[in-house]
Amino acid sequence: MTTLSVNHVARIEGHGDITVDVDEGVIKRITMDIVEPARIFESMVVGRTFDEAPLITSRICGICSANHAVTSILATENAFGIEVSERTKKLRELLVYGSYLQNHGTHLYILAAPDYVGLPSVFPLAETAPEIVKRALALKRLGNELCTLVGGRAVHPTTAVIGGFTSEPTRTELLSFGKRLEEAVRDAAATVELFGSFDIPRYETKSDMLSLVASDNYAIVEGEIHSLTHKWNRPVSDYRALMQEEVVSHSNSKHVMVDGKPFMTGAIARVNNSWDQLLPSARVVASKVGMRPVMKNPFYNNICQAIELVDAAERCAMLCYELADSNGSASPVEFKPRKAVGYGATEAPRGTLYHTLEYDRNGIVTAGDVITPTAQNLASLEADMRAFAPSILSLEHDEFILKIEQLVRAYDPCLSCAVH
Amino acid sequence: MRPNVVFLSLASDFGCQVQITNFPELLEMLGTFDLSYWQLATSAHMPSEYDIAVIEGACTTQEHVELLEKVRARAQVVIIVGACACTGGIPSLALNGDLEEGLHLVYGEAAEKVAWGHIPPRPIDAVIDVDFKVLGCPVNPDEFSSILQRALLGLVDNVHRETMCSSCKINENSCFYAQGKVCLGLVTAAGCESFCINRGRACTGCRGIAADANMKAAREFAAKYALEQEFLNGLEIYNSHAKGLVHDDSFC
Ligand code: SF4
Ligand code: SF4
Repeated sequence: MTTLSVNHVARIEGHGDITVDVDEGVIKRITMDIVEPARIFESMVVGRTFDEAPLITSRICGICSANHAVTSILATENAFGIEVSERTKKLRELLVYGSYLQNHGTHLYILAAPDYVGLPSVFPLAETAPEIVKRALALKRLGNELCTLVGGRAVHPTTAVIGGFTSEPTRTELLSFGKRLEEAVRDAAATVELFGSFDIPRYETKSDMLSLVASDNYAIVEGEIHSLTHKWNRPVSDYRALMQEEVVSHSNSKHVMVDGKPFMTGAIARVNNSWDQLLPSARVVASKVGMRPVMKNPFYNNICQAIELVDAAERCAMLCYELADSNGSASPVEFKPRKAVGYGATEAPRGTLYHTLEYDRNGIVTAGDVITPTAQNLASLEADMRAFAPSILSLEHDEFILKIEQLVRAYDPCLSCAVH
Repeated sequence: MRPNVVFLSLASDFGCQVQITNFPELLEMLGTFDLSYWQLATSAHMPSEYDIAVIEGACTTQEHVELLEKVRARAQVVIIVGACACTGGIPSLALNGDLEEGLHLVYGEAAEKVAWGHIPPRPIDAVIDVDFKVLGCPVNPDEFSSILQRALLGLVDNVHRETMCSSCKINENSCFYAQGKVCLGLVTAAGCESFCINRGRACTGCRGIAADANMKAAREFAAKYALEQEFLNGLEIYNSHAKGLVHDDSFC
């Protein structure tokens, strides 16, 4: 038996290894080993106050810190029965979309693209294809600046609190961002075309795809959980009953199943489940490169991220104009803590993120639960690695490993989120 | 010869690295040093020779301790970035409860299977000597770049000794205590220009306790507003490691 392994898979967020055992040309075992040390966030929030919970859990991940902050805030608002203003809701949507532009921009160009052009990193690309790198950095910067505009800074928003925002962008800032976002739609569309032009391995996953959906919006902040395969919708408060978490021995991250089966979450699940809610411009560019539901090839997750960039840029421009031209305030509303359980969910760039917070009557956390997108994706990723590997077993060792890594990166895993 | 820089990360959320990639001059500065290892950005392997090690994250496993000792023996300069590395940060918050219990709460019966080599979280300078600290959660990219430049030029760290209240006053903010709200600026190290406070949010202490902080006076000040307990509780978020070292009368 030979064991092929990759220590510290590069160009993903966090520390993970891949192990493949091959015996006489047959794959016996293939696993994604998450060696990132656990920081045990669910135990750290216990005993803390309601305003500390989002501060603490946003440190689960530096890439989707806005999502963790907003999801924790939603859970608390759900527990205490807090209604926030329309303006607050729109600003939260912008904040979360900021992390889409940031994450998708970085992931597509810096982490994933080198795979498709056969390079170890983006640095040589900066010399051979400077316009591509420039486009990547521009999208990423726009995302950072959008997060900064709304949240105060690109990583770990400081203005988003329970009930609203401690400070808001000005009308002038919103108008100038609207314009920049509108201009970015072109870069985003070029990204869809670029990823559509790559040679993508043929493969279909058997996994179901889950994401939030809403009847009147591309669901990013709040919504109901939808299954692509079974077509059901469930309220967010059902997520703990719906999902089973299990500890696996090769990984510091738990695996998550629904009815004992793996599922995917993330851009591909959202684009499949909320196709009708995408803006027409996003659907047009998607169709041009042959993308339309139902997409079952996990490598298409990258193209779906690019499709979301088009949708997000245009949608955020509209949100900025709406906010600039309407009155109202996002100042935090008054509230009283109470003994209750609250649930929150948002769509993070990599998929649905769930938080639960249980409070005593003084607003002290008595229990917390977090299920991150990567934890949800890991079982499906391993199932896909197992099913995909035999078809490429004839490749040279390095090529074989590269293809497996490419599949891993297509899932865009975030390992600090996964173990949290 | 250009100095060779490696970028390592221990237990963290990668947020400081993300902040650093948000720093547009990094690609330009690349001409002044060789970035020979950065797992986040390239699939190249860790080299055996390097001059400057930049390290993010708290030390939470035995493996981390061994890695840090190895790196200290190799590198001429060690720069640690972010609250996790500098104060133990949020990972050290786990020290407030029983660590074993915490692991059990999260992993149940299977805790032993997954938490190999787990040790109580600690800042990097509790394990090895460091040359530069870039404080904050997350770090400010400009501050990182100026400290990296000091390192490249062979200068020494210029530590902020004073507390946040000094920057807060310069920025003409009105004090949170007057509104009956607790703020950790009383004892937190300056250097972020009172970033959060300028945006309507009290300081949560992410830069750690200032060298010149007067803890006794701060407690008395908070007590005047009946917020002493809240002040001490708040300090735990980024400074639990300091608390663990100084037993009961916590931070005094
Ligand atoms: S306690 Fe906080 S708000 Fe008050 S002066 Fe100091 S830093 Fe400013
Ligand atoms: S004001 Fe306080 S919490 Fe905010 S960045 Fe500065 S030190 Fe950190």
